[in-house]
Order: sequence, then C-alpha cells, then structure tokens
Amino acid sequence: MPNQHTDAEAKLQKLGQRLRAGFAKQHPAQNLEAVRGAVREQYEQEQKAKREKTITPPVPKKEREREEPDQER
Amino acid sequence: MRVQKPSLAEGIFRIVEPDLRLFVFSTVPHHTAEDVLQEVLKAVATGMSKFAGGTTGEFWAWCYRIARNKLNDQYRRQAADRMQPVPPEELWQLIDASAQDAPISPQDKLDLEYAMGLLTASKPECYEFLWKHFVFGLAYAEIAEELKLKYDAVRMKIGRCLAEAQSLMA
Repeated sequence: MPNQHTDAEAKLQKLGQRLRAGFAKQHPAQNLEAVRGAVREQYEQEQKAKREKTITPPVPKKEREREEPDQER
Repeated sequence: MRVQKPSLAEGIFRIVEPDLRLFVFSTVPHHTAEDVLQEVLKAVATGMSKFAGGTTGEFWAWCYRIARNKLNDQYRRQAADRMQPVPPEELWQLIDASAQDAPISPQDKLDLEYAMGLLTASKPECYEFLWKHFVFGLAYAEIAEELKLKYDAVRMKIGRCLAEAQSLMA
C-alpha cells in the first residue's frame, strides 16, 4: 500500500510538471518589460542611495552646535 | 562574485514565471491575470532582499505566499470561488503543448493517463487539495496557511483523498 501511494504521488507530480510546462508554452509571457523596469528602477535607487551615503560628508559637530541658537530665534 | 540585481531578476523570471503563471491564471479571469502576474513578479523580484529562507522549498513557499497575497488583495471575491475542475480535454491540450519541449514516452503517457484518472475520479473537495498539492506544487504547509488549516490536517486529507481516488480507479 505505501508503495502504491508513492507511485500514485510520483505520477501526479509528473502530471503537475507537464501541466505547468504546457500552460507556460500555451501562454508565453507577453511582456515582462514592466517588471524589468521596476527591478531596474529599484536597483538604481539603491545604488544612488549607496553613492550618496559614501559621498555626503558628515556635518561637523561644531557647525551643528553653531546653528542651534539661530534656530531658536 | 557578486550577481547584479537585474541579471538575478532575469534568472528569477526564467525559473519562477512559468509555475506562477499557471497558479495566477487558474485563479483569476485571463483578461486580468496578466496584470496580476506582473504585480506578483515585481513583488518577487524587488522583494528578494527580504527573503530570509535558505532552501528551494522555502523560496517557492515565499513566492506562492506573495502570489496569494496579491491575488487576495485585488481579487478577493474571485479567489474565493475558484477551483472549478478543468475538463480532461483541456488538460490533454496542456500536456500536448508540454511535449513540444519534452517528448512524452509511452510509459509517461500511461502514467499521465493514470494521474489524470486520479484527479477526475476525486470528489470536488479532494480535487482542490490534490490540484493544489500536485499541479500547483504547493507544499502541505503552504496549503495549510492558505486554507487556515493545521499542517497535519492537510497532510492527512491529501493522503485520504489520494487513497480514495486510487480505490475508485482500481
């Protein structure tokens, strides 16, 4: 019985693979450009953020302290 | 070597897209399915950095979770009454289409006929479980999560459904 069960499972899995492959064949991806664009945009934003992080010099402490009285006024 | 994100995305589409396509197209009407699928793929590709798993199974579970969430977000009502059995002739058309890339041997044909018999012999409540597990390729845990059931309940249900279908085929 357990062997019969495994055999049936294997056949159903084979069927599943065939159906997924057949469906992808019958309905090929129409246009993944929008998806590629979204990925590219996100990637570029991440790269830009990284660059800005390394380029932007930290504000010197003294300068920040000097600005504070101005803000209070 | 560090893989660039856009090329990683291409790899993801190649591997993930065909399986998710059937999942999405079986769940919502075809005229809206293409848009939903694009949303799912975008979420998979842009969310890769958040994926915390380490196995293929975990990766698929994560992908299907994203797909389910997108489907539920946008098409909650349609998603609730899905799972109409697909007529055997339509299934054979898909199998024939798959044969263009991988020819079907006589033994394969017998196996596929048997598997198809199991599916069509199963009762409606079993059909849904067998379809999700074997055709979509969802793991027990994923089905349990989707249907809000316990893991063991799903495992036992699928085992019982399979045994029942086998007895009907005998």
